Amino acid sequence: MSPTAMAHALNAGLRRAMEDDDRVVLIGEDIGRLGGVFRVTDGLQKDFGDLRVVDSPLGEAGIVGSAIGLAMAGYRPVCEIQFDGFVFPAMNQIVTQLAKYRHRAEGRASLPVVVRIPVGGGIGAIEHHSESPEAYFAHTAGLKVVCPSSPQDAYDLVRQAVRSDDPVVFLEPKRSYWRKGELDLDAVPAPVERARVLRAGDDVTVVTYGALVPVALEVARICAEEGRSAEVIDLRCLSPIDDATILDSVRRTGRLVVAHEASRTAGLGAEIAARVQDRAFYSLEAPVQRVTGYDTPYPPSRLEEDWLPGVDRVLDAVDRTFEH
Amino acid sequence: MTAVQGDTNAPPETSDVEVLLTIRHFETLLLRMFGEGRLNGTTHTCLGQEYVPVALEPLIADDFVLSNHRGHGHYLARFRDPAGLLAEIMGRAGAVCSGVGGSQHLHRDGFLSTGVQGQSLPVAVGIGLHHKRTGSGRIAVAYVGDGTWGEGAVYEALNMAALWRVPVLVVVEHNGIAQSTPTRLQMAGSIADRAAAFGVDFLEITGHDLTEIRELAAPVVRRVREEHRPAVLQFTTRRLGPHSKGDDTRTAEEVEPLWALDWHAELSARMGEEFSRLDERVRAEVQRVAEEVDARPPAEWEPAGGRLPRPVVSGG
Ligand SMILES: Cc1ncc(C[n+]2csc(CCOP(=O)(O)OP(=O)(O)O)c2C)c(N)n1
Repeated sequence: MSPTAMAHALNAGLRRAMEDDDRVVLIGEDIGRLGGVFRVTDGLQKDFGDLRVVDSPLGEAGIVGSAIGLAMAGYRPVCEIQFDGFVFPAMNQIVTQLAKYRHRAEGRASLPVVVRIPVGGGIGAIEHHSESPEAYFAHTAGLKVVCPSSPQDAYDLVRQAVRSDDPVVFLEPKRSYWRKGELDLDAVPAPVERARVLRAGDDVTVVTYGALVPVALEVARICAEEGRSAEVIDLRCLSPIDDATILDSVRRTGRLVVAHEASRTAGLGAEIAARVQDRAFYSLEAPVQRVTGYDTPYPPSRLEEDWLPGVDRVLDAVDRTFEH
Repeated sequence: MTAVQGDTNAPPETSDVEVLLTIRHFETLLLRMFGEGRLNGTTHTCLGQEYVPVALEPLIADDFVLSNHRGHGHYLARFRDPAGLLAEIMGRAGAVCSGVGGSQHLHRDGFLSTGVQGQSLPVAVGIGLHHKRTGSGRIAVAYVGDGTWGEGAVYEALNMAALWRVPVLVVVEHNGIAQSTPTRLQMAGSIADRAAAFGVDFLEITGHDLTEIRELAAPVVRRVREEHRPAVLQFTTRRLGPHSKGDDTRTAEEVEPLWALDWHAELSARMGEEFSRLDERVRAEVQRVAEEVDARPPAEWEPAGGRLPRPVVSGG
């Protein structure tokens, strides 16, 4: 297939999932006639009808809660939350019901619910429209959290998420919606929980995910010009974390930089750093470096380029790992 | 209870018409500037709904307003400050809150807006509770759309407001649509019945004559203020513009009849020459403000330093 934007790849993935399994239903605000704010569900209500693509009232707790009930009755609901900042009314349902159900059922039952959330900044949006809430979900046992960085991964992961018998929080980096990449509709997908080494290297490991993946690749390219070989790992699955891929890399390179848009404190970077120092301490040549958003609310759009981690900040962090 | 508009024919005060027109031209200009790529983020215009806050303002002039995503009219009716608002949206010097909030997150004495639907109602209860306890005689006013009645927080707040007899006025701008979803596809029953279920006073106002709205709303506001009876005031109104920008899912045939109900056309017919003169003057003035604000340097955020932030709820 010709180069496809991530939003279109997601649309194709959802369409395929709905064709493959008529228990799949979509529910969210303005996902029918409008096709969602980012047009990810464009045309699906027209083709599958309004029993399978449900325009819900404004009410995120109701969207996720009713998806839970539908899942208990055998459906495979996919919820769309309109923007990252609007998931919080649904947090109660996600944390206290969705994430706990398998545990409560002593492992005998599970909830195949996908909660899709556009996340992150970089699109000149306003407050509540640029947030990176992944750590809240990763902190909650019982949720799988994924975040694709390419159209192919988006297509594969969304189909895998729908097939998962357990809840998946599916984070869609807004900045990447309209970036194009090759899409093979019949490729054999990698396992959901496997991180991907996008570029091999020997001197330093850069771990990231979502919209920062192209930044990390650019960093690796510049490093190569400077004679340093950087390995780039796209996490893809933020919970559970693929420790093996990260540890294997760090044991070879001895240096680790973790980059994410989300604020620093108690972010995924902290978790990865802790895991690596625990299990690869003697391989480390330098302290693990984090490059993150700041510990402030997301700024107004004219400041977001300063707030978001970019190539320069990641390069600086790489430099710091060579100072030891 | 539904109050229907009569034909009063008394022309509105010039200063009111000026505010109406300021809001109209301000937002028309915003849409144009977005079209030209001169603005970032997003915006939700209240085209067609401007008369609601303008009519209410004299009744709630000292009260705390909690506004929403469609809040430019609420702000301009209160502060008559297009320069500050535009500077806020553009991130220029003189911005309402240093460009930190933008279009739908304004913060000024007695005024707070949020874009997260429904969440301001419980906050209104807290503010109202403070006013009740201190006997300040003030009330909290929260603006919401009809779609926002899908959010659970609305009902937690109504319950508390009624149970504790809190001076909260909920103003519903019922424009028949939420983003792309018509009310009939997102609301069971009615707002009137929901208010009744909590024992909360309810009045629907369908007209846009300022004098008449004030006459109808004044006793409701008075009961909220004096008897601490929370109330819901529903304006049956219309959204003439897109939800935000360039995203109207309605057909031209759906939108066109709404323009026939617009206050602008009606006032123009009623006031004739005088209206045209005002219209042109305000349009030019808003344009002048826009050019002036555009030329300003970026907004700077002066840190609060060691000082404690000012309490946002004054009075009492
Ligand atoms: C909690 C939450 N969910 C979703 C949104 C996205 N959103 C912004 S405005 C809007 C529609 C609001 O409809 P309504 O309350 O009728 O007000 P109107 O836009 O018609 O003025 C939606 C869904 C939001 N702002 N907050």
